[in-house]
Amino acid sequence: MRLPPFSLPALARAVGALLCAIWAGTHAEAAPMGDGAVRQTLVHAVLASGPEQQRLLEQLSASGSRLARETMTAWTRDEILIYVGPSGPKVPVILEEQQDAQGKARARRLDDGSVLRDPQGIELRFAVGDLDSVDTDMRQRAAIQQALDALALSDPDPDARRSAVVKLGNSQRTHYLPLLRARLGVESDGAVRKALQAATALLELGGSDLTSRIAAVRRLGDLAAVGAVDRLKQVQAAGPPPLAAAATAALARIERHITIINFFGTLFRGLSQGSILLVVALGLAITFGLMGIINMAHGEMIAVGAYTSYVVQNIFGSGFGFHITLPFSFAGHPIAFGFSLPGLNATGGWYESYFLFAIPLSFFMAALAGIVVERTVIRFLYRRPLESLLATWGVSLIMQQAFRMIFGANNVQVNSPAWLLGHFTVHDVEFGYNRVFVIGFAVLIVIGTWLLLTRTPLGLFIRAVMQNRDMASCMGVRTERINLLTFAFGSGLGGLAGAFLSQIGNVGPSLGQNYIVDSFMTVVVGGVGSIGGTVSSAAAIGTSDQVLQQTTGSPVMGKIIVLCVIILFLQWKPGGLFSTKSRSLD
Amino acid sequence: MMSFWPFKRSFNSEHPFFNPIHPMIKTTLFSLLAAGGLALALGSTTASADDSTVKVGVLHSLSGTMAISETSLRDTLLFAFDEINAQGGILGRKIEPVIVDPASDWPTFAEKSKQLLEQDKVAVIFGCWTSVSRKYVLPVVEKDNGLLFYPVQYEGEELSKNIFYTAEAVNQQATPAVDYLLQQGKKKFYLLGTDYVYPQTTNLILYKYLLLHGVPVENIGGGLRKDADGKVISAGKYVPFGYTDFQQIVADIKQFAASGDACVINTINGDSNVPLFKEIVAAGLTPADCPVVSFSLAEDELRSMPTKDLVGELGCWTYFQSINSPENKAFLTAWKKWLETENYPGVVKEKRAVDSPMVLSYDGVYLWKAAVEKAGSFDVDEVRAVLEGGGISFVGPGGKVTMQANHHVTKTVYIGETKANGQFKILKEFPAVYGEPFQLKALDEKLAAGK
Repeated sequence: MRLPPFSLPALARAVGALLCAIWAGTHAEAAPMGDGAVRQTLVHAVLASGPEQQRLLEQLSASGSRLARETMTAWTRDEILIYVGPSGPKVPVILEEQQDAQGKARARRLDDGSVLRDPQGIELRFAVGDLDSVDTDMRQRAAIQQALDALALSDPDPDARRSAVVKLGNSQRTHYLPLLRARLGVESDGAVRKALQAATALLELGGSDLTSRIAAVRRLGDLAAVGAVDRLKQVQAAGPPPLAAAATAALARIERHITIINFFGTLFRGLSQGSILLVVALGLAITFGLMGIINMAHGEMIAVGAYTSYVVQNIFGSGFGFHITLPFSFAGHPIAFGFSLPGLNATGGWYESYFLFAIPLSFFMAALAGIVVERTVIRFLYRRPLESLLATWGVSLIMQQAFRMIFGANNVQVNSPAWLLGHFTVHDVEFGYNRVFVIGFAVLIVIGTWLLLTRTPLGLFIRAVMQNRDMASCMGVRTERINLLTFAFGSGLGGLAGAFLSQIGNVGPSLGQNYIVDSFMTVVVGGVGSIGGTVSSAAAIGTSDQVLQQTTGSPVMGKIIVLCVIILFLQWKPGGLFSTKSRSLD
Repeated sequence: MMSFWPFKRSFNSEHPFFNPIHPMIKTTLFSLLAAGGLALALGSTTASADDSTVKVGVLHSLSGTMAISETSLRDTLLFAFDEINAQGGILGRKIEPVIVDPASDWPTFAEKSKQLLEQDKVAVIFGCWTSVSRKYVLPVVEKDNGLLFYPVQYEGEELSKNIFYTAEAVNQQATPAVDYLLQQGKKKFYLLGTDYVYPQTTNLILYKYLLLHGVPVENIGGGLRKDADGKVISAGKYVPFGYTDFQQIVADIKQFAASGDACVINTINGDSNVPLFKEIVAAGLTPADCPVVSFSLAEDELRSMPTKDLVGELGCWTYFQSINSPENKAFLTAWKKWLETENYPGVVKEKRAVDSPMVLSYDGVYLWKAAVEKAGSFDVDEVRAVLEGGGISFVGPGGKVTMQANHHVTKTVYIGETKANGQFKILKEFPAVYGEPFQLKALDEKLAAGK
């Protein structure tokens, strides 16, 4: 809405906004613009362009308003829509989250927060694609982002504050200095204080006074500010001699710091990769390790888990259905079947909790698949391990084709819940939530498996049957049932792995194929039949792979070296890390 | 530089482990099937093949790893043929497609193209996706003096008198994207790709291009590999096909980007992009700080990706489905209508997206049609002479395309930004970009002159 230049209310609003901005400028800390003024400035900013928009954004950035932040965040996501009424003016609106049965939602006006109504006073409802969004390009979004960052300086969440500070420090705009210094005066969080000091030092480094520039460089060195490396290198190369010398010293300190970060970072990444290996291999450690079935279909059990997560996600969303027409017909009638599940149309946190439901369901679905495979194929092959290889390979091909028919040959989309995206930082070492999650997940299922095997009657029977089927049978153990349950349990563990893998990688028909080799490798290196061995080998392979990647600088070389070492290792210890002596393996 | 990595863009590994059926058996099986299918499909029409029709070859994999991408091109071609036939055909003759299935197996591409040219005597072949398949077809079309139209972005450094490249050359995709990022004030570039000929060549060109535009070596991330004389032979970080663990690489990018104004040039192919972008989101690298521009992700690929994680990342092609032009709208409407009414076997009807390779395939048909009509003949030499003569152009869905004397096409290049619905928002267009296949030598000379 371009307001006519002389309209009184517009003028009054503009003056009001300007006054607010000036006031906000002088009271950099907590300068509350009234919500009304914020709304007006937002509307103007949304509809303006070029330098005018830039100016309005700067006003908003000084407003300290939560409303401004929420709206501007929606703006960067293209969620601000433009409603053009019958009378012509453009009204920026945001759709409410709550949708009705037709997928339509009420629209809230940006200018006064009320629900958008037509001239007759009836509430208007829109679906997502009905209205055009306010276009933003990269430059605009960067500007909005910068305004948001300035606003984020007063965010209650220290992490958000810290990342905002870092961005402002890198912006090289000295006019942020007063803002940052003011914040430093009131900031209590240690990490944010450190970031504030680095950011102010970086901005001061851009000044003209040599002494304060040298002091800034020294401070950057003391703070071991990683983000300052490029700036310092520039200064080192082109600055006046005393400044360059200070930069050299500071760089040396930062390099040392980076070495330490990389060391611990690599260790953590190794641990997380090891956990992924462990999670995918643990099920195989049961079916192959304990039961002695060369289970080539283990990868597909993982895929069952991953697809279950996909289906659960869709049930929480808009529903799931499929329809298959078989490529042949019976007596002239094409054979087709299919079904559909209605969706819950959940939103927000409720939708994102789908993953919590997907985890147990993945276990059960994979276990169910395991039961079917065991009953139909594997139970005839307990005494013929090599045939089990061929038979399970066949099963794996059949299952892959089934995935293709049900879910299509393309990969499917699985969106990660927000609480699995993101990271936290300890002393500049980053810990991704999803990675921490997988480590915890691995620890939990290992403990669970261990408890099951050693502390329950079922575990006792499992161990007895796996050691000597005939003897256990003589003692009255129902070996058939134990075999079934053990295989189902191993398959279920594969399903759990699939649920997790759906969060970090692809979900497609060949998902299982990508992990089957790694799974066997982990189990064999650890020592067939030993859960403890699988845990140690997963950790060892993961860590050495990451360390080698770091040192060789090439992802491929790391893997090659690890594989070579494994080959040599197995020559030396064919039984793996912890070879078990049990009759079933003789 | 020549390497024979099997794919340009693919979704799976070709390792025998993953393809338990031996390729030979597969090929034979599929050719039997295809032959049977063709006999059925064309049984009635081939009998009457005379002056009322003209045979045109369609050489795209309909089975195997590449089928997932190439069937879309087959569909687009059939659509274009139907459209032209409905308007009376070319020189009064209806197009009669001869569809063969090279089954994602490179030697079969050579075999099938030979069959098309020698047995079926097609006037022209539309086909190939991967660079390696094109390299197999090249000697065949040169020997039999055929015509091949090739539609998929490629690394350049090739020019055959019998191949017309409607594909994006490196200077119609990679270098305009870099120009755009430089304009946006980006100063640091991290090069990342899958380890085979297309990313390697593209990144090497980009490395030289960036140097030429004043970006210092230390601001080009990913690492350099030099030969014994210290000459750079490879720039950037490479991962194998199907790679999934991007933790280390993203940590590396994050340190590279810590000082601001950085971006990532991504030539990773296929589904490795999913774990890459998930890791990028988890590490908190937002497009506002460090955008990623990807050269292998078009609308068709985005259909199977978690697009939420990609919002705001960049793409660069010579066509986007979101182009707001009358030609594109008409094209999309006609395409949708065709999908509803056609009854060719094996054409998927639901959830279809249109992307650059498909449109360049479509453009190729119309460029050939224009050339044939101007030549007044289907003769390969005459058609080639007209195409090389310049002035053969077509206003397609992506804007005007004009065939050049060097067998490449002048066209509009678009920079777009991924949206949550898997479409692109167009940020910038570079109109009428001349297709220049040979970049490396020219850049080397310019760099040497600069020193």
